[in-house]
Amino acid sequence: MAVREKKVRKYKDSDEKITARSLITPFVFSLPFMIGLLIFTVYPFIRAVLLSFMEDYRFLSGKFSGYGLGNYTAIFSDPNFINALKSTTKYVLIVVPTSLVISILVAVGLNNVKKLQGLFQTAYFLPMVTSATAVGMIFRWLYDYDYGLFNYFIGFLGIDKIHWLADVKYTMASICIYGIWSMLPFTIILLLAGLQNIDPIYYTAARADGAKSKDIFFNITIPLLAPTIILTSIVNVMSAFKVYDSLFVLYGAKPGPAFNLYTVIYYLYDQFWNKNKLGYAAASAMILFVIIALFTLLQNLITRKTNYYN
Amino acid sequence: MKVTIKDLTKKFASRDKTGEMVTAVDTLSAEFESGKLIALLGPSGCGKSTMLNMLSGILPVTSGKIYFDDVDVTDLSPDKREVGLVFQNYALYPHMTVLENICFPLKIKKVPKAERIEKAVEIAKMVHIEDYLKRLPKELSGGQQQRVAIARALVKKPKLLLLDEPLSNLDAKLRVEMREEIRRIQRESGVTTVFVTHDQEEATSISDYILLMKLGVMQQFSATREIYNNPGNLFVADFIGNPTINQIHGTYTADGIKADGCDELIPCAIKANEGDRVVFAVRPEAVIFENEKNTVNATVNDLYSSGKDWLVNFMIGDTDLRGYCDADFNVSEGSKIKVGFKEKGAFLFNEATGERY
Repeated sequence: MAVREKKVRKYKDSDEKITARSLITPFVFSLPFMIGLLIFTVYPFIRAVLLSFMEDYRFLSGKFSGYGLGNYTAIFSDPNFINALKSTTKYVLIVVPTSLVISILVAVGLNNVKKLQGLFQTAYFLPMVTSATAVGMIFRWLYDYDYGLFNYFIGFLGIDKIHWLADVKYTMASICIYGIWSMLPFTIILLLAGLQNIDPIYYTAARADGAKSKDIFFNITIPLLAPTIILTSIVNVMSAFKVYDSLFVLYGAKPGPAFNLYTVIYYLYDQFWNKNKLGYAAASAMILFVIIALFTLLQNLITRKTNYYN
Repeated sequence: MKVTIKDLTKKFASRDKTGEMVTAVDTLSAEFESGKLIALLGPSGCGKSTMLNMLSGILPVTSGKIYFDDVDVTDLSPDKREVGLVFQNYALYPHMTVLENICFPLKIKKVPKAERIEKAVEIAKMVHIEDYLKRLPKELSGGQQQRVAIARALVKKPKLLLLDEPLSNLDAKLRVEMREEIRRIQRESGVTTVFVTHDQEEATSISDYILLMKLGVMQQFSATREIYNNPGNLFVADFIGNPTINQIHGTYTADGIKADGCDELIPCAIKANEGDRVVFAVRPEAVIFENEKNTVNATVNDLYSSGKDWLVNFMIGDTDLRGYCDADFNVSEGSKIKVGFKEKGAFLFNEATGERY
């Protein structure tokens, strides 16, 4: 991204001077998108920021008692919100690294597949274009106590059957498995693109330098893939922090079988729709926004460090 | 280390789907003397890079043998051959500093860290890159990257150093500087070195031996001076030398060559069969102006100053020729002159086969 910006700047230097007149055409061209952006992103965002500071906001009348930090202090003393922050963080810490490691192995494998590469790539990409509802149905069946494949397989290992969806102990595990699985296609595709961007000459050079496949993987492939690995993990961290759709498909819009697994977004949804606490919802959204913004900053910093080429 | 190549052949499946095999290198045999600098020279597509890749072990051979000091290495993988490779675009690992790049082959060999740094610094000094050890490849100029690539290839003390078009990515001035550097580094390290180039000037300026190839077939393999003074066929004579050798097509007679489009006979001391179609080839420096005997009438077309002397472009009959004359030689465009040819630097070839008489 940083590269592209630099290039644009260079063109600007060489081009004619920017005047009010010369800006009309680009302005008109970007107007439709800008209008959409203003109405559906910028305005709601500003409203949400304001809303998070409005105390005792009434949805129907639009009345509120004044601006303050009331919503924030309220949600931070709400055990459900603290619970949501904790379990979301735990979810992120489990799902992102696990899916990353699996994805790297699969992507390296796919990259080395000589025949039918297209077919395999499509197969791995398929989960991404499958509807969440259909996937949810399938996973509910996979997790089924009596007939599910998961219990069938762990039966082979001599482990007792597990109430995947009903037992409070396994809520985190089952939601993580689902999360890891649904994260794979996007991660694999990005990593595969990253791998295909590595000039094969480095592998040849390393072979000539005496390196074995293992040496090449750790000394050449992984470091050269690092920019993509960082990009995908940050994107995945951001999307994992926003987890909540899996609660819908696995638990029928409940945060776990016994309301034991709140995530930040589920908390937000719950405050908004079920409890009508719009201020709380907005405040929790702001907290999540700050967390994700921090990761975006981190990504920018690291991406700049791993730019080996320019 | 001495390198012996015996009947080396490489065939590739052709790219169009006829299934036919294309021969990139055709039963090539040669022996590279230890400690020498050898140039693999030829126009693009002649199989010279294929040769290099077979020497390094990156490409398997179709048939034939490669011996390093009488040891058969034909089926050994690159890492077991103890060769150092320098790639055309250097292939420096972009995420490693100069020092890490040079250390990499030693790191793979599990050489202790202190020792490998010591060795790397020693090599870095030899290639004059010791001031840049902390930099990343992207922070280096082309010539510096080239030096690092050579250092990385040399650090494991290879028995054979292979360079693939080492100078083609550099600008003209740097190219001359770097080719002298390659010569110096090769002399200092004493390692047998083979480099690929399509530039005959590059090859003649630094190599001890030149192996000239065309369409996978070796044309001539001899000492650099020898290949210029004694070309084996018309292709060699034409390929080596700048400006290129003059070629006069004609029919051989005992009294001289009857050049096409020219009424006079061109005197020639070399013997051929009466009536043969021949090519009389003369190096530009073998052209004598202001000659009294054995001369041919010519017309000056153009004059180019090359500093201390003139490069004269002149016509004999329909044939365009070039020769050098002193700067004080009084000619101008359109002048009628008489030219002769020295025996040294003049060759006679069969027009059909290109073979030399």
